[in-house]
Amino acid sequence: MRTSARAVLVLLLGSLLAACASTSGERTTTWPDDVGRTIPAPTQPLPPPPRQPIPITPGTPGAGDPSLAMIPPPKSLPVYPKTADEISSQAVLSLMKQARTARAAGQYDQASGALERAQRIEPRNYFVWSALGRVYLDKKLYDNAESVAQKSNSLARGNVYAQLENWKVIAEARQAQGDAVGALQAQAKVDELQRNLAGG
Amino acid sequence: MAPPVRHNRPRVPRQFWYGLAAVVLVLGSIGLVAFSFYLVALDKDIRTRFAGVRWALPAQVFAAPLELYSGLNLDTGDLKHELERLGYRSSTALEGPGTFSLGKDRADIFIRAFHFWDGPRAESKISVKLAADGIAEVTDVGSGEPRDIVRMDPMLIGSIYPQQQGEDRVLVKLEEVPDLLREGLLAVEDKDFYDHFGISIRGVLRASFVNLRAGHTVQGASTVTQQLVRNFFLTLDRTWTRKFNEMFMSILLERHYSKNDILEAYFNEIYLGQDGNRAIHGFGLASWFYFNKPIGELRDHEVALLVGVVKGASYYNPRRNPVRAKARRDLVLRVFKERGLIDDAEMQSAIERPLSLAGSKQGGVERYPAFVDMVKRQLRGQYKDSDLTDEGLRIFTTLDPRAQEALERNISQGLAEIEKTKKLPAGTLESAGVVTSVGGGDILGVVGGRDVRYSGFNRALDSRRSIGSLAKPFVYLTALEQGDRYNLHTILEDEPIQLKLPTKQIWAPMNYDRKLHGPQPLYMALAQSYNLPTVRLGLEVGEKAVATTLKQAGYTSDPPLLPSMFLGAVDVAPVEVAQMFGTIAAGGFQSPLSSIREVTTKEGEPLNRYPIRVKQTLPEGPVYLITWAMTQVMRLGTGRSVYGVVPDELTLAGKSGTTDDLRDSWFSGFSGDRVAVIWVGRDDYKPMGLTGSTGALYIWSRLIKDLKVKSLDLIPPPDVEEQLADSITGLRADEGCQSRVLIPYLRGYAPQTWAPCAHAAESQPMQWLREIFQ
Repeated sequence: MRTSARAVLVLLLGSLLAACASTSGERTTTWPDDVGRTIPAPTQPLPPPPRQPIPITPGTPGAGDPSLAMIPPPKSLPVYPKTADEISSQAVLSLMKQARTARAAGQYDQASGALERAQRIEPRNYFVWSALGRVYLDKKLYDNAESVAQKSNSLARGNVYAQLENWKVIAEARQAQGDAVGALQAQAKVDELQRNLAGG
Repeated sequence: MAPPVRHNRPRVPRQFWYGLAAVVLVLGSIGLVAFSFYLVALDKDIRTRFAGVRWALPAQVFAAPLELYSGLNLDTGDLKHELERLGYRSSTALEGPGTFSLGKDRADIFIRAFHFWDGPRAESKISVKLAADGIAEVTDVGSGEPRDIVRMDPMLIGSIYPQQQGEDRVLVKLEEVPDLLREGLLAVEDKDFYDHFGISIRGVLRASFVNLRAGHTVQGASTVTQQLVRNFFLTLDRTWTRKFNEMFMSILLERHYSKNDILEAYFNEIYLGQDGNRAIHGFGLASWFYFNKPIGELRDHEVALLVGVVKGASYYNPRRNPVRAKARRDLVLRVFKERGLIDDAEMQSAIERPLSLAGSKQGGVERYPAFVDMVKRQLRGQYKDSDLTDEGLRIFTTLDPRAQEALERNISQGLAEIEKTKKLPAGTLESAGVVTSVGGGDILGVVGGRDVRYSGFNRALDSRRSIGSLAKPFVYLTALEQGDRYNLHTILEDEPIQLKLPTKQIWAPMNYDRKLHGPQPLYMALAQSYNLPTVRLGLEVGEKAVATTLKQAGYTSDPPLLPSMFLGAVDVAPVEVAQMFGTIAAGGFQSPLSSIREVTTKEGEPLNRYPIRVKQTLPEGPVYLITWAMTQVMRLGTGRSVYGVVPDELTLAGKSGTTDDLRDSWFSGFSGDRVAVIWVGRDDYKPMGLTGSTGALYIWSRLIKDLKVKSLDLIPPPDVEEQLADSITGLRADEGCQSRVLIPYLRGYAPQTWAPCAHAAESQPMQWLREIFQ
């Protein structure tokens, strides 16, 4: 009956181990504000892995939860670039400036033209994409404005400053297209990001 | 007493004379009236033709301008080549617009004025400082101030003219015509231009005298006005009626229009050459056609050649009859000197110069027929044909001459080299290629066939061929979207499959090497392009889901929903393949490919802009995973030979494609900033014995190297996490595992179970036990 004895042992040990293992599987994140939080469902996008500057998203799981008030505020703001100046070449900055001037004068074609030139020089510059979204909004190309802002969000890899501007564009684009619910959702993102920034 | 003799002849009655006079008068009046009608008709003809739209102006097609800025990866050789392609002339000092002087690590450029779509840009002098890694600084020559970014003038790459008539021209104003050209032309063609009234009696007498003495025609008597009328309204047959018409039309033209109007019309109308079925009219275009530069930059010997060609564009064709053309040019130079337009030294130095023609036999323009063909197709939906051929529209395209040139060169050379090394009959292979930007949807270069100058069948757009294994990334991507079922290390079986098709046939696909390789991690099955695991995976996710992915990537047709689609039994044109891979390259954001940026009127008023269009059509996380897998294709799979050509640090993603019996050889892939697709095959669909890796990849690798692409930046999106995997079990690994690989997973789906080899597993001694219960 060695086999059956072993099977019992296996069962016993196994159930024990399985219980232990499940806790080890519930890995906690290392971010100070997220202590004890489990890994969320994959549908909920999370900030990037630690090779990027670590962002702080205190509001994400139930921002209105009073228990969150117990968590001490983060010590410092994430080290994301705040403006294009920090990640762009002189050529791109010059084009972005041209675009701002043109936009201020209501010359939206000129503005988008300059930004598209900048995009060709630095295709991954999310501040350029972000500014482009804003100008497409001016030009009433709402669908495109939203998509371009999403593209910027994607490239921003968690940069809250770029995301804040992008979600504003998305909210306005949706509002202009009569998508009230979508606009509200986007506005909620704006509010959340603003709270995060204010919290820092 | 005899009556006078005259009495013998009957006396003509007086009435007769009156009658005759009346008849003559009537006939004369009728003739006069008829002649008046004739003149009035001619007059009307002249006035309507001359005053209205004088010329149908073909649309001009421009390449994208080169932007010069600090940080651009461009060396001295590239810059020189770039400037020469634009028709800029090298000289020791800047002599005027369109000249440059090149030092060891510095280039001074006198940039031409140009009317861009967003406004005119004045000419300017800049200095470009070059370092080892490209442009270090751009400054203004006058002030020494730095310039952040400077746009060069874009290259004119073609025009859109009607297929039948094929007249092409670039309009010039009389004030743009250099003095030497204006005065020189009159010295040679019409000395009395400012004195005669359309026809020159003196000219006729002089010509008759000269011709009589010579015994044959050496000098024409036609004035510039007559020549214009002939070019403008009449055919070239030498009949008296035509001469008659020409004479009166010339006189009428002179009555209505000033000498300068007529001369300007002449400069734009006169026929000066032929380029296939395109007729080169006017000095404006001729200057580009023969010398690749604007008329204002012509030098003495070039002016003389153009003036010489007026006499007979075919007989004195400088490309075909260079000796004859040079003799004519030198004769013209002597006339210039006789008339005091140039001095003796200038004449001598001009005579010593070669013809200095630009470009190949075809001429300076119409360089990129496959690209211009694509531009035309894109425009056709939006503009009437007559708008394109008549209105002088200016079309600013996305063509990057550097990318285009690299594509052309590598296809031409590559095919010849492949044929040689594979011992294939020379000239049997055909090819097509597309290069696009990542993210913006710009088509940067297109080649439609081996003969890159041939404007016929455009394989890049029209040749839809099976894509073979290029379909695999889309099968795997479909699976990776289901994070709960698949990750990059999911083990796939490499076992034989037999399927009964709806046609009752049995389909039994095999691996390319006809071997079985045992269980494979998903990414490895893609990297090695194994067929059996792919079909297995495809059947699990289903044909419909894969078809959806293909369409989301940018495929526009309906693929046949058969298992063979997993191995690429889907016909796609190279440009569409570029679209599909471009969507992956841009993280799932699709930008419809476009070859046009802006269209303006001939005056520069913007008509149409084509903004960057973007739409997320594929989920970011799974796209990141498949991109990572495609980098493994390059690092250790069927694309690895690329690293014999490009440096190791360059991260690239790609996929080879081979179809049944080696009929099609594909390679498609991307860097951080460029997507490139190469197809190699035969037009008769015969097998040629090349796989994607031996045919298309050979060209692709060299193309990527020449494009100086930016490395792919693998930064995982928020919903992707990386974790070490044991390369045998695919389970979670740490330093304890000999063979481990860092694999990206959709967040939350990375395996939490430690591999047996992991140190962490030792703290869980009964790991294997737990596994039993999972």
